[in-house]
Amino acid sequence: MTHVPAPDPFTVFGVPRTLDLDARELERRYLRLSRECHPDHLRAQDAADCLAVLQRAAEVNDAWKTLRDPWTRAKALLEAESPGLLDANKKLDPAFLADALELAEEVAFVRPDHVTALRARLQQTLDADFAALRADVGRGDLPAAARRVHGAHYHKKALADLEHKA
Amino acid sequence: MTTAPQPRACPRLVLGIDLGTTNSLAAVRAGKDARVLRDRDGEPLVPSVVCFHPDGRTVVGRAAKALRLDFPERTVFSVKRLIGRAAAEVQQEASRLPYRVAAGERGMPRVQIGDQQWTPEAISALILQQVKATAEQALGQPVREAVVTVPAWFDDAQRQATKDAAQLAGLECLRILNEPTAAALAYGIDGSKDGTALVYDLGGGTFDVSILRIDDGVFRVLSTAGDTQLGGDDFDELLCQRILAQLPPTSDPYVLQAVRAAAEGLKIRLSDAERAELELDLGNRGAVKLAVTRAEFEAAIAPLVQRTLDCVMRAVKDTGLQLHELDDVVLVGGSTRVPLVRARLQALTGKAPHTGVDPDLAVALGAAIQADVLAGNDRSLLLLDVIPLSLGLETLGGAVRKLILRNSTIPTSVTEEFSTGVDNQTAVDLTIYQGERELAQDCRLLGRFQLRGLPALPAGLPRIAVTFLVDADGVLRVTAREQRTGAQASIQIAPTFGLTRDEVRTMMLDSIEHAQQDYLAREAIDTRNKAEAMVRGTQKALQIAELPPDQTYAVQKATKALQKLLAGNADAAALKAGCDELTKLTATIADDVISSAVTKALKADEIR
Repeated sequence: MTHVPAPDPFTVFGVPRTLDLDARELERRYLRLSRECHPDHLRAQDAADCLAVLQRAAEVNDAWKTLRDPWTRAKALLEAESPGLLDANKKLDPAFLADALELAEEVAFVRPDHVTALRARLQQTLDADFAALRADVGRGDLPAAARRVHGAHYHKKALADLEHKA
Repeated sequence: MTTAPQPRACPRLVLGIDLGTTNSLAAVRAGKDARVLRDRDGEPLVPSVVCFHPDGRTVVGRAAKALRLDFPERTVFSVKRLIGRAAAEVQQEASRLPYRVAAGERGMPRVQIGDQQWTPEAISALILQQVKATAEQALGQPVREAVVTVPAWFDDAQRQATKDAAQLAGLECLRILNEPTAAALAYGIDGSKDGTALVYDLGGGTFDVSILRIDDGVFRVLSTAGDTQLGGDDFDELLCQRILAQLPPTSDPYVLQAVRAAAEGLKIRLSDAERAELELDLGNRGAVKLAVTRAEFEAAIAPLVQRTLDCVMRAVKDTGLQLHELDDVVLVGGSTRVPLVRARLQALTGKAPHTGVDPDLAVALGAAIQADVLAGNDRSLLLLDVIPLSLGLETLGGAVRKLILRNSTIPTSVTEEFSTGVDNQTAVDLTIYQGERELAQDCRLLGRFQLRGLPALPAGLPRIAVTFLVDADGVLRVTAREQRTGAQASIQIAPTFGLTRDEVRTMMLDSIEHAQQDYLAREAIDTRNKAEAMVRGTQKALQIAELPPDQTYAVQKATKALQKLLAGNADAAALKAGCDELTKLTATIADDVISSAVTKALKADEIR
């Protein structure tokens, strides 16, 4: 079996490469593609090329997993628009990192009665991150968008750590 | 002239078979409705019992069950507990059975009847043959294909053994289907009702919970969780202990068997009555007289019921949904008749459990529906199932990097890039594990293979793409390929091969109990790897970067300090501090040669 790089998830789903996709429409498309591609529906016809059927079905499932979450969708968008861009823009502003570190510490030592407030704040931060990302992409400043994605990772991790603690 | 209208091309008939621990049955779907197939007396259930009569006959089903007391050592039941497992693993289980279980070839369990040995597959095949014969007689035509159900937590060896049993019985098994998924299909048969359903399946010996989303005929399993060693038998066991406490200590199998039967009877009566009494006269072996109230029984089983609710919560959490977002709660399995189970589940979910389909028949009916889909008769329904345990690769230091997470919809595939950990390394070992724990030693080893012919390059430079591909039956294929040279290797393995039910359960429980400990151990390994890569990257960068002497000196000093920490086996916190120190220095250097070289070294995870 040779490794063929998977097509980007937007191509798999046949949707435009944009950040904002309608969730309901995306799900409907996933269900339709699954009906068309799933090996269970093709097995009765003795699908000639099993591996191809399998890979196509896996691509559909994996593309759905990527597109349904706005942040993984953003990563896929940047990677599709400019391969290597995400890797090339990993260096973040030290001031931002200092803030992120502070946030992580806040999560680590949060008092139980402050969890709800902190969760709301982290959620707001992530919403703001996404709004800023949308603006970056809108301006066509993809390197900034890439850094934004990397930066939001710290906020997502802080939120996940908080949920883990709670 | 009147002739009966000829049916158009006769639809392919595929049976749905619930091969149960206690009872088995078949169902079939023609058109929209699935129905169970009954014998001449109108009975759908075939007891999963085989009696090897001393007169040479092999008796299966109800007739065999009737002989159970006459020939206890020649009557085989609960063979589902043995199938696909190793003799050593079922030893304790077998010690409670009245028939003898011996270790056969390759450590597989064999049922010993007189001087003959039977494999669990062969005995299951006899049960399947009886189910098939009953079905064929009810249908008036032969059948050659089937979908057979198993608990969601059955591992690959158990699934494969079940498939083999079907083949021995003259049935081609088109799919091994998870029992809770099948039950959900049976409840959602009208297909008109979209929503999210939780299936709670508490059988005699195992517990499964699955959460499904139904959208216009597409049944998507969102998550599954379970406990392979928790069921109604454990409720019985608690009552047994109460009864045995009133008897002199004994290991007499006759007494144990009688007490077990009495305990089961008590449990069943307590489902309807608030209080049940027991009078058990064992002749010269003793006598017991006791009364149990439902409140006492419920207090005793409450911790077990709580364990099932913990699984429910885990399954819900894995879907990312909230409890109130569930539309339906479906009960499957005889043990869901216990009132406390219903009450606690209802209290947790806030939903009255669905009771529209007989919990004993739901699994077979659902299997018949999936059978009809696989036969190509119904393209309006589609089932999307998930893989129950995560799959990953061992990385440097004995950590497991998960490539495919549990509850991923199958088929699925993931490709990730790895690199080498040593300069001029020309081969890497790829070791594949399954489980939820962070360290390889705590997960189940699935297979190992080697990728050779790597170009001799400094550590971290070769780019090795590793692809995991899981098909619709849950079988894993792994491919590794070096990107520059195209060197390539692959292996196809079953994802849970040889994993015992005990192990699955223990692995799941362990991953919860040890989550914190694992996290720290994993973090320590990660930090160490990162520090080593950082030292290497910085040293290389210093050779090529033209830095002012004072900066070179500062970086060298920090690198040496970190090296010293590594050599002295410093803890994760100290290593982290050392890394941070070095990062601070390299990050502030105007020329970012160093930081880019370090980043590069850190980019790829290293494979041993």
